[in-house]
Amino acid sequence: MKKLLKKLFYHDGNGWWNLPKNMSGKPNPPYEGPIGGPWLIKMINLMTYGGKSHAGPRFYIIVGIFLAIITALEVWAFELESELAILYIPILLILALIKFVAVVAFYMHLRFDNRFFSYVFASGMIVGTVVFSLLLFISEAAYMTR
Amino acid sequence: MTTKPATKSLVFPRFFPRPNSKTGIWSWIATVDHKKIGTLYGITSFFWFIVAGLEALLIRIQLSQANNDFLSPDMYNSLFTMHGTTMIFLVVMPLSAAFFNWLIPLQIGARDVAFPRLNALSYWIFLFGSILINFSWITGEAPNGGWFGYAPNSGVTFNPGKGMTYWVVGLNVLGISSIAAGLNFVTTIINMRAPGMSMFKMPIFTWMTLVTSILIILALPILAVAGIQLQTDRIYGTHFFNSLGGGDPVMWQHIFWLFGHPEVYILILPAMGIVSEVLPTFARKPIFGYSFVVFAGAVIGFMGWFVWSHHMFTVGLGPAANSAFSISTMLIAVPTGIKIFNWLGTLWGGSIRFNTAMLFSLGFIAMFTIGGLSGVMHASPPTDAQQQDTYFVVAHFHYVLFGGALLGIFSGIYFWWPKFTGYFLNEKIGKLNFIFMLIGFNIQFGPMHWLGMDGMPRRIYTYAENMGWEGSNLAATIGGFILGVGVLLFIYNVIYSMIHKEVAGADPWDGRTLEWSTSSPPPEHDFDEIPQVKFRDDFWFKKYPETIKEYYEHGEIEEDTEDKLSEKSNHEDEIHLPDMSYYPFILGVGIAILGAGFLSNIYIIAISVPIMIWGLLGWSMEPVNDPHPDGH
Amino acid sequence: MSETAVINNHQDEIENTSTGLSNKKLMMWLFLASDVMFFGAFISTYLIYRGKSLVGPYPSEVLDIPITTVSTFILLMSSLAMVLALHYLKENEKNKATLWILGVVLLGTIFMGFQFYEFNHFAHLGLTPRTNIFGTTFFILTGLHGGHVTIGILWMAFLAYGSHKGTLRSDNAIDLEIAGLYWHFVDIVWIIIFTVIYLISANDMPPAGSELLIH
Ligand code: HEM
Ligand SMILES: [Cu+2]
Repeated sequence: MKKLLKKLFYHDGNGWWNLPKNMSGKPNPPYEGPIGGPWLIKMINLMTYGGKSHAGPRFYIIVGIFLAIITALEVWAFELESELAILYIPILLILALIKFVAVVAFYMHLRFDNRFFSYVFASGMIVGTVVFSLLLFISEAAYMTR
Repeated sequence: MTTKPATKSLVFPRFFPRPNSKTGIWSWIATVDHKKIGTLYGITSFFWFIVAGLEALLIRIQLSQANNDFLSPDMYNSLFTMHGTTMIFLVVMPLSAAFFNWLIPLQIGARDVAFPRLNALSYWIFLFGSILINFSWITGEAPNGGWFGYAPNSGVTFNPGKGMTYWVVGLNVLGISSIAAGLNFVTTIINMRAPGMSMFKMPIFTWMTLVTSILIILALPILAVAGIQLQTDRIYGTHFFNSLGGGDPVMWQHIFWLFGHPEVYILILPAMGIVSEVLPTFARKPIFGYSFVVFAGAVIGFMGWFVWSHHMFTVGLGPAANSAFSISTMLIAVPTGIKIFNWLGTLWGGSIRFNTAMLFSLGFIAMFTIGGLSGVMHASPPTDAQQQDTYFVVAHFHYVLFGGALLGIFSGIYFWWPKFTGYFLNEKIGKLNFIFMLIGFNIQFGPMHWLGMDGMPRRIYTYAENMGWEGSNLAATIGGFILGVGVLLFIYNVIYSMIHKEVAGADPWDGRTLEWSTSSPPPEHDFDEIPQVKFRDDFWFKKYPETIKEYYEHGEIEEDTEDKLSEKSNHEDEIHLPDMSYYPFILGVGIAILGAGFLSNIYIIAISVPIMIWGLLGWSMEPVNDPHPDGH
Repeated sequence: MSETAVINNHQDEIENTSTGLSNKKLMMWLFLASDVMFFGAFISTYLIYRGKSLVGPYPSEVLDIPITTVSTFILLMSSLAMVLALHYLKENEKNKATLWILGVVLLGTIFMGFQFYEFNHFAHLGLTPRTNIFGTTFFILTGLHGGHVTIGILWMAFLAYGSHKGTLRSDNAIDLEIAGLYWHFVDIVWIIIFTVIYLISANDMPPAGSELLIH
């Protein structure tokens, strides 16, 4: 406990707030669990270039195809809108989220880059998402009670 | 350094040679030196401070008596709009930016900011934007919808003149400047620190600048959105805030205050940083609870996002929203209070010197606390229902903005003036200046509390006779003039200091942070040798190594294990300063003309495009440093 | 002018920072965080005003999913071209890099062509920013996105020229990398716009009772 406090507040310690040192050039941390057998772990590491320091064209093309397939799925969901009913919007949002993450992680190299860049972008995303969800929520609530 | 085989580079045709004048107007126009840019920011925003102050005095004269007709209602609207807009966007923000520019590289031990040319661009856009928005006085159509620009009052239907168009266009131009500066300072603080200066060894002012800049980066885009929406509504007839077309004026309030509340913290955090530097120096004690001050600042920066609807308690968002925002608003007073206690703790047991800078800081603490308390009062929706749109709110935000932000900034001016110019400001005049300001301020804004409680609405140009408001209003006007004398005394002090030239050494106050370790004013390259940092308040411990034991128990110091950075600067024997450049100015002119184009017609926009392209291309093809003549 | 100094500047930039990260890249990420707020505010405006139009044309009467799917696909592929360009630039394969950057420019231009067609088509159907709140929010949001794409296209064209001339090389590939970050960001904004404006609201009908208001 004391150690933790020291880590959190003692100014000369190297606590969690200290920016990560240079990681570029070092390999990506490979995926090790918690879920998945050896086969899955191998696949994930192959897919995400775990243990390697960058990806190659083959991988980028695979991601591109993957993005195209998800776009096709989205349009397919659109065709089935009335069948999917209440599930329609959640499904679309999840598909969009997958595409979003794929582009950010692989094309924008966040998976391969210094983690600090992820923090920067994630903090913008988090503030944005929370604030604007709140805005949508109160606007909708105010509209319905009007 | 590795040398690579020379290859050809893209060269943009130059219409004039690389600027290198050290004096004269061109040395300012082409400068990329953070100190010169800081000076430019300071002078420009002080000019606008005078302008906005005069506007305030006109307002006060009008309100000094009931049924006064000194100003026409239209004129009154323009004056209070421009007073607020100018004070917030052209005075407090850029005065803070002047301090950022001057101090951040000096405090973190760097030779310049991360992007010196971008820094110059920020200044030029700010200058042209400020001229653009004030140009409306000359065309006779000054903005008149308030600094908050509430729809639908700011739309064309109710406000057909050009005034509010000036306002949105001007704010959008200024927004570009602020965002560019914000990006620059976050990058600088994260990436340009001297070897050994980990984040938690940075001075508090640097920390507050970091938080402020992050807020600027995230909040100003929202103002841009509000601006674009209002602008298209006004110019192209869209329906964002037009209920006849399906829009909703309440949306403006949401988007504006979504920006607006983070904005008030953008205004106050730099002043908090300044005070946190002044108090330890004059109490000769390190700041009490460094980590708490830092974390409180960061928490304020985060929580500031979730309170915006406290400006909308009377809009009718419903009990759930009102309660939620009421709670979050009350909560945000907690980190603010933490800071106040830390400042008091810093004073406790110190050997205090009452210099002018210190007096201003003490004034800051007292006045800001009063403003914070009235803020907590209208954090409660039922109370706020009584206070909304009354002079009580005016009293609140002047206590935090003048009593807070501006007293803090004046404290900073008195504190760092010797560093900026090499000469002291006179202490006697300074103390007089402080007394006049503090007394005038309280006489002006104190009575507004009970005026508000008595129900006097804000934003009205006059009031009836028998309301019992005359006495307080007259007092406020007199206070305003006393305050004005205080400002005149400051100007007198500046002139006095320039004539009498009382030389201040490198370290006149026995300072604690790195900026005092270099000469006053600093050389162009800031530091002859980049400092190596071991402690927080490193300069102090270099001067008084015997006190290390006192502050680090048992004298044991945790050394930075990852000290590889310190090796790096050892083999840095050459001082590389970025070369001067005309392109920031050219690009700034282009953006200003673009803004003017939105106000007039498409041909002016067409003129701006080639200028902007010229600026951009020239900029990107010009190397930061021309190769040195000695082949380095 | 010798190029040596310029090259060293680029290396200095990365080596002499406190975190070992490139200043330019850090600033680009910060800028993207800022742009998140920009588009976030516009997208939430769209969502709050969704279904509040008082007069037609309504989304279901104008939006054309097949065409937009094609343009979405094209923008996605431009992102693929972008990463390939960066890859080949880092591998010092100048010609391939130039070609892929040009590919980005081309695909981006086609995307803008689609948008131009779409705007025109909508205007023919009687939907302009002035028609109703759907038109207002739709045109301003997608128009600003288009503005971002246009800036990206110009930037890429400039870089393609540099790569062709040999001034953009593996050692200053950071310049292409940050342009790429911008480009991909514009792409993910479109991913969201495609979902939110097109797929989710393409079947939005006139709100109940709106006819009563008009007549
Ligand atoms: C202790 C923390 C604070 C609390 C709880 C607080 C609370 C509030 C509330 C509830 C309002 C809305 C009043 C109304 O319109 O009815 C308000 C207005 C305002 N506050 Fe604060 N505030 C605090 C600190 C600050 C600070 C530090 C600043 C600026 C430096 C500031 C600047 C303003 C301004 C400018 C307005 C008026 C906006 C307008 O209507 O034009 N406040 N505050
Ligand atoms: Cu507020």
